[in-house]
Amino acid sequence: MTVLEARNLTKRFGGLVAVSGVHLRVDAGELLGLFGPNGAGKTTLFNLISGTLRPDEGEVVFYGEPITHMPPHARARRGIARTFQVVQAFGELTVLENVLTALAHRALTGWLPLGRYDAPVRRRAAMELLERVGLASRAGERAKNLPLGLLKRLEVARSLALQPKLLLLDEPLGGLNLRESEQLLEVLLALRGQTTMVLVEHNVRMALPVCDRAVAMDAGRVIAEGRPEDVRRHPQVIEAYLGEGEDA
Amino acid sequence: MYAVTVFTQLCIYAVLTLSLNLITGLAGQVSLGHAAFFGIGAYVVGVLTTHGIPFAPAWLVGGLVAAGFGLVLGSISLRLREDFLAIATIAFNFVVVAAFLYLPYFGGAYGISGIPKPLGNAGFPLLVLATTLGVVWFHERARASDLGLAWMSLRESEVAAEAVGVDVRRFKVTAFVLGTGLAGLAGGLYAAYIGVIRPEDFGFPLSVTLLAMVAVGGMGTLWGPLAGAFVLGGFAQAFAFVHNYQLVLYGLLLALVMRYRPQGLLGKLG
Amino acid sequence: MDWQTLSALAADGLAVGSLYALTAFGLTLVYGLLRVLHVAHAGVYAAGAYAGWLAFRGGGGLGWALLAGAGCAVALGLLLEWWFYRPLQGRSPLVALIGSIGLFVAVGDLLRILFGPYQHSLPVLPPRTVVGPVSLPQLVVVAATAGLFLVVYGIATRTPLGVGWRAIAQDAEMAAAVGVPLPRYTQLAFALASALAGVAGVLVGVYYNQVYPTMGAVPAYKALAVVVLGGLGSPWGTVAAGLLLGVVESVAVAYFGNRFPPEGVAFLAMMLVLLFRPQGLLTAEPQG
Repeated sequence: MTVLEARNLTKRFGGLVAVSGVHLRVDAGELLGLFGPNGAGKTTLFNLISGTLRPDEGEVVFYGEPITHMPPHARARRGIARTFQVVQAFGELTVLENVLTALAHRALTGWLPLGRYDAPVRRRAAMELLERVGLASRAGERAKNLPLGLLKRLEVARSLALQPKLLLLDEPLGGLNLRESEQLLEVLLALRGQTTMVLVEHNVRMALPVCDRAVAMDAGRVIAEGRPEDVRRHPQVIEAYLGEGEDA
Repeated sequence: MYAVTVFTQLCIYAVLTLSLNLITGLAGQVSLGHAAFFGIGAYVVGVLTTHGIPFAPAWLVGGLVAAGFGLVLGSISLRLREDFLAIATIAFNFVVVAAFLYLPYFGGAYGISGIPKPLGNAGFPLLVLATTLGVVWFHERARASDLGLAWMSLRESEVAAEAVGVDVRRFKVTAFVLGTGLAGLAGGLYAAYIGVIRPEDFGFPLSVTLLAMVAVGGMGTLWGPLAGAFVLGGFAQAFAFVHNYQLVLYGLLLALVMRYRPQGLLGKLG
Repeated sequence: MDWQTLSALAADGLAVGSLYALTAFGLTLVYGLLRVLHVAHAGVYAAGAYAGWLAFRGGGGLGWALLAGAGCAVALGLLLEWWFYRPLQGRSPLVALIGSIGLFVAVGDLLRILFGPYQHSLPVLPPRTVVGPVSLPQLVVVAATAGLFLVVYGIATRTPLGVGWRAIAQDAEMAAAVGVPLPRYTQLAFALASALAGVAGVLVGVYYNQVYPTMGAVPAYKALAVVVLGGLGSPWGTVAAGLLLGVVESVAVAYFGNRFPPEGVAFLAMMLVLLFRPQGLLTAEPQG
């Protein structure tokens, strides 16, 4: 079944066309990889799906419901979670509280939600999520004191707390060393099959093998789509990356 | 009794700093015009009670009117980036004081005098104390609630808060409405307590003082703003010497805190 | 409205507007480089005014007063850049803004403590009229402003300093990467901004024949309004906006008299611009 469909998405910034006529389909349970050199429009596409940006043309449909003009928080509540290329942790809050923020969203109806945010039920759920990503031991620490690798995992835990139907991961391996990357990939692989994921990643070597399907972009357009090995060998893809000096 | 006077004044400062803390400490929205809402509450009570309306309804109306203006400012804050917002709040403070100076019924530069104090000299301080305790209770309840968590998350990262389902716009407005409404209530108490109010009592220097109290004490916590109110406020009250140098001291304090210990004050730092 | 009144209004408006432009220009310059609103700039302005007054008290004429004012302002401005703004550069602009406001309040109050809360007069120029309804002070103010901005224009367009400033304002990282010496150019910007403010302070003291501790207050807010109107980060937009505001205020005072405070014009305009066109009246693209 189709979880997400993006049709003919176009986004311009002044004279620059960041995304042009992009069609994307995400099926339930798959791990879709989105690749492309810098400036290809991958993060912009993510922002269009998560709601941070609105498209100039085209539409975004989630489980058959058009969400093109819905604000990000409404999309989050419908089950679209995302991580950020530049980690956006709640620095002054503890690791546990970071996850609790995502568990509160159902109670955030109305203007004065005054229920306690750390009710025992929620704490348990939060701790479980932290255990899944291996951060349970640091639950009480302030997020700003954590190294980047752990913050990336925290973002994943926070996203999972939304019980998302679609998880968007924006360059999760960015800035991580080899060991941290492997650890994070382990966490993501454990989610495979249960959670539908779209992964944007610059580190093609490590990310491509874990994907069920791949889409390649360049200069705002989709240039290849299909099985990872096929996309990897696609001549246009190789050229796009070679133009950047990257080996794919 | 002098001690009671000082204590009452400190309690009013406490309500003011806690109310500012909701907006700036918890929700991270800079308000450099908080004194204006204090003034709105004070003037509503001043005008109404000197025209025969009893204190209780006048007081509530004062809070509501202040909250109403807070709603306006909150809506404005949705369109403005942080430093622009700070400027807008300053401008707002000035516009409000100018309104007190120039509009009819507010007494111009002489302000309003002869504001009656309900409950007498023994009872009124108790009302102030009760209000302060009520505000403390509400502050703590909010801070531990989903609302408080939503505020703190949007303070730390608006984009991440949106991504976890927090309606950032709605809760920014809520912070302003609640914070300014409480400041209005403080204003009503102040008007009745002191009996005479003038436009310059609610000017930008007071807003700076309040921000200094919250910033120095430690934003976002309970004891931070309270400590700021009691220590800085108490200082000024107890020592006339300090009172004369109040502005230069608060100004320097603010500058020094920002220069050397801004961490933990506002979430979006660094 | 007859020719006499009109030209009197224009003269006053231009003079006052020139003073706004001088003060606000530095604010925009610093904002362009640091992305911080240097509210303490108004404190520098007031300090300069007092320095000029002291020079006058010591027997100096207009020239010495201006020199003293500019010198004192530059010293204070550079001190603030070195002690306060530079160390805070990585942080949220709010930190610097709040601290800057604290500094401004502190400087103003310090002037009150040192020199008393009363006005002091600065009768360096006789207020007689020179050309038609234009008075000597007005002429001096406008001439001085024009001269100074001519110099500034020269610096901005013909020197590496000016080019460097534009580069830093566009993209500080890139500028540093191509070799623009950020710290030194920032210091020079502060020096220029402060010098202009100091001169403005002295000229204001001369024009209204008074210096007083809170004289920085109104220019502070008006300079903010001017900067917002002209577009944050657009120095020449600021100049234009300053002149415009001066003229509009003069007209407003003439029309409304005491029923509407002239400050109201600035604030009203500022709030409207903030709400509906935050990039300012005179710039094309939204800033930041």
